[in-house]
Amino acid sequence: MPYLARRVGQALVVLALAFTVTFVLLQALPGDAILIKFESPELGLSPEQIADIRASYGADVPAWQQYLHTVSGFLVGDFGYSVQYGTPVHELLAAALPETLALAGLGFLVAVLIAVSVAFLSTLAPFAWLRQALRSLPGVFVSVPVFWLGIVLIQVFSFQLKLVPVIGADPVQSLILPVLTLAIPISAPLAQVLARSIDDVALSPFVAVVRAKGAGPARVLWRDVARNALLPTITIAGVLIGELIGGAVVTETVFGRAGVGRLTEQAVANQDVAVLQAIVILAAVVFVVVNLAVDLVYPVLDPRLKRKAVAA
Amino acid sequence: MSTPRTFRRLAVTAAAALAAVSLLASCATQTTATDAATGGDPVEGGTLTYLEHQPHTTLYPPQAGFYPNGGIVNNITARLTWQDPESLEIEPWVATEWTVNADATEYTFELRDHVTFSDGTVVDAAAVAKNFDTYGLGNTELGLTVSEAINNYASSEVVDADTVTFRFSAPAPGFLQATSTINSGLLSPETLDRKLEEFGAGSSTEIVGSGAFVVTEEEIGTSLRLEARDDYDWAPPSFEHQGRAYLDAIDLVVAPEDSVRIGSLLAGQADVIRYVQAFDEAQVSGAGFEIIAAPTRGVNNSIGLRFTNPLLSDLKVRQALVHGVDAQEVVDTIFTENYPVATSQLASTAAGYTDESEALAFDPELSEELLDEAGWQVGADGVREKNGERLSLTVYEAKPQPLSKQTLELVSQQLAKIGVELNVKAADAGSYAADILDPLKTPLYHSMVGRADNDVIKSQYFTKNRNTLLSNDAKLDELLTAVASEPDASKRDEASAAVQDYLTEQAYVIPLFEEPQVYGAAPYVHGFATEAVARPQFYDTWLDEK
Repeated sequence: MPYLARRVGQALVVLALAFTVTFVLLQALPGDAILIKFESPELGLSPEQIADIRASYGADVPAWQQYLHTVSGFLVGDFGYSVQYGTPVHELLAAALPETLALAGLGFLVAVLIAVSVAFLSTLAPFAWLRQALRSLPGVFVSVPVFWLGIVLIQVFSFQLKLVPVIGADPVQSLILPVLTLAIPISAPLAQVLARSIDDVALSPFVAVVRAKGAGPARVLWRDVARNALLPTITIAGVLIGELIGGAVVTETVFGRAGVGRLTEQAVANQDVAVLQAIVILAAVVFVVVNLAVDLVYPVLDPRLKRKAVAA
Repeated sequence: MSTPRTFRRLAVTAAAALAAVSLLASCATQTTATDAATGGDPVEGGTLTYLEHQPHTTLYPPQAGFYPNGGIVNNITARLTWQDPESLEIEPWVATEWTVNADATEYTFELRDHVTFSDGTVVDAAAVAKNFDTYGLGNTELGLTVSEAINNYASSEVVDADTVTFRFSAPAPGFLQATSTINSGLLSPETLDRKLEEFGAGSSTEIVGSGAFVVTEEEIGTSLRLEARDDYDWAPPSFEHQGRAYLDAIDLVVAPEDSVRIGSLLAGQADVIRYVQAFDEAQVSGAGFEIIAAPTRGVNNSIGLRFTNPLLSDLKVRQALVHGVDAQEVVDTIFTENYPVATSQLASTAAGYTDESEALAFDPELSEELLDEAGWQVGADGVREKNGERLSLTVYEAKPQPLSKQTLELVSQQLAKIGVELNVKAADAGSYAADILDPLKTPLYHSMVGRADNDVIKSQYFTKNRNTLLSNDAKLDELLTAVASEPDASKRDEASAAVQDYLTEQAYVIPLFEEPQVYGAAPYVHGFATEAVARPQFYDTWLDEK
C-alpha cells in the first residue's frame, strides 16, 4: 500500500509540473488566441473593441494572476472557455473524448492483435523465407506515415472498392479505416519488441531444459516463452499511449472525425490556450495512469517481482 | 509530414496547369450556379451532403465573414433585402419597400407580413430594430461586436409593428446593401441576448434564425444538420421558386483533407463540396462533375506594399515592384481560368470597379529603370543594394488565400529577375497574427476581401477598418471616406474610381487575380447557387435521381 501511495504522490507531482510548464510555454509563445481571432484585419475591429474582448476573457491581467485563476479553475473542474470556438472547454472535451477513446482503445487492441500475430507467426511459420518476410513487416509498418496510410486506405477501400464510406458512415463503419490507420504504425514497435524477446527467451537455459524434457515447440512457445517475453512488450505498450495520442491527431484530421486529436490540432493552430492546457493535463493523466497500471501489472505476470517487493 | 503531400500537390499542379490550358481552349464560360433547367422539374425531398473545408467558429452574423460561418448563416437567416448576385441590384426580401433620405442618414423599411423566426415568434419592427441596434452598435456586455458592413449607425425607431427607421450620424450610403449581407442576418430577439460565446460551436442548434433552414443537430467541429422549415414562405419576391426549400435537409460535414473531399464527391459519398483547389479542378470536371466558380466581387487577391516600411517609402521602388510582377504568369502556372487576372485593385465584377490594367502592366524593363533611378544597384549576389543595404523584403504565406505559398514563391522568382529579394515565410498563427501588424516585419501583405458594395475598398484600406497597408496616408483615408459617405450612386462610383487611381498612382498594391470560391457538385445536383459574395445558397437546390 505505501508503494501505491508513493506512486500516486509522484503522479500528482508530474501533473503539477506538466500544468505549470505548459502554462509557461504557452504564455511565452508569440501572439495569443485573442490576437489570432480578433485582431486579424479580416474582422476589422477597433482597438477599443479588442481591448473589451481581452478584458472579457480576463486576458488583460498579469500572467501570474491568470495562472492562479487557471489553477483554481482546474481544481474545481472549470477549464475555462475556448476563444476559438467560444465554447466551454469541458463541453468540447466531453464531446470529443468518447470518440477518441473508442478510436484509441480499438486502435490499441487491433495493434496488439497485429503485433502478437506477426511476432508468433514469424517464429512458428513453416518456411524460413516466410518467417523472414513476417519479421520485416514491422520495419515497414513503423516507417509508414500515419496520414499517408490514412489517405491510401481511404482511396483504396472507400473510393475505389467502395467497401466503407468515409462520409455518412454509421458509427461502426466509420471506425474501421481510422482504427486500422492508427493500429498499423503502433503495432510495429510492439511486434519488434515481442519478436525480439521471444528470441531472447528462447535461448535461455530453462527453455533448453523444458525442451529436453520433451515439450513440443508450440507448448514451449505458449507456456514458457510467451509469458516471459511479455514483460518488455507491456512496458513499451505503456509508452505507446503517447504515440496513440499523436496518431489520433493525424487520423482524426484525415478522416474528419470529431475527437481530442482534431481538437488538439485546431487548438494548436489557433493557440487556444485554455483548450491546450486542458488537453495536456488530460494526456498527462492518461499517461500517468497507464504507466501506473503497467507497474501494477508486472508483479502479477512475474511473481519474482512480488517476492522482491515483499522482501524490501 | 508535408513533403509527400507537397510533392503530390506539385505533380497535380503541373497536370492541372496543362489541363487548364486545354480547358481554356474548349470553354470560356464561367458558371455560378448548377443548371436548374436541364434536370426537368424540381423534386422536393432528399438530403444533400455538403463537405466543408474547415469547421465553423460562430454563427454571430457580423463575424460570419469566415466562409464556414457564412455558409451556415446564409441558409439559416433571411435578411431585409436581397442582392441579386448578377446585377448587384438590391431587391425586397423581408422588407417589402424602403425609403432613404437625400443624404443617406435615415432609412425606413416596411416589413413583410407572416415572417417568423424558427421558434415561431414574429419578425416585427421591434425584432428588426433590435437586430440592427446590436449589429450597428455592438453589445460590449455580451461581447457582441459591431458589423464591419454598417458605418455611422446611430439609432433605430419602431414606427409601427411593420415599420422601422434607422438613423445615422453621418451619410451611410452602403447601409442598404449592408442589410442584404449575411452580416445582417435576422435573428430572434432572444438569440441576440446571448453572449458571443453562446453563438459558438456547440450552440448552433439554439440559434434561432429566419431563413429557409434551421440547424437541428451538431457534432462540434465535425458536422451539422440543417433541416428545411416547412413554414418558410418568404423567399425574395424576385425568386421563381417560393415556399419551402426543395431539400429536406443538408448534412454539413467537415473534411479538411483536400483529397478526401474530392474523392468523396467523385465516389458519390458527397453531393457538393467547397474549396476545390485549382489543381483538382480538372479531375472534378473530367469525371463529369460540375465546377462552380463564384466570384467574390471585392478587393482582388493582391499584395499590399506597406509604404511605412523605409524600403518601400520610395514611390519608384513600389512602382518597380508593381511592374515587376507578372500576374498572368501566376494565373497560368498555378490557377485556372476561374481565376481571372486582376485589372485593378477591385475585381471587374465588384461595385465601383474601374480598369487600371494599363497603368499596372507587367514591364520588368521599366522596373529595372525605376530601381536604377532610385539608386538601387545590382550587387554581387544579384540583389540590388543601396548604401550597403540590400533590397530584401519579406511576405508571409496567407493561410486563408488559395495556394498562397505557391503564388508568393512565383512572385518571388519574378522579383528576383529585377534584383529584388522576396522571402516567403510560413508561420504559426500566433507569430503571423503578431507580425502582420508590423510593417518592418511584414512589408508585403497578401490578402483579399469580398463584399458586393463600393464600401469594400474602404474595408480593406481605411486606417480604422482592416488597414491592410498599415497606412498613415491621410489623403487615402479622405478618398475612402468619400466612397463610404457619398449618397449619390454615380458619384460613389466616381469616388471609388478615384481611390483605385490613387492606389495605382502611389503603387500601394500589386493586384494578382480575382479570387473565386470554387465548389464541386455532382451531376444530379440542380439549382445550387451562391449569394453575391459566393456563399452557398441551398434554397433552390434539389436532387435528381442519382
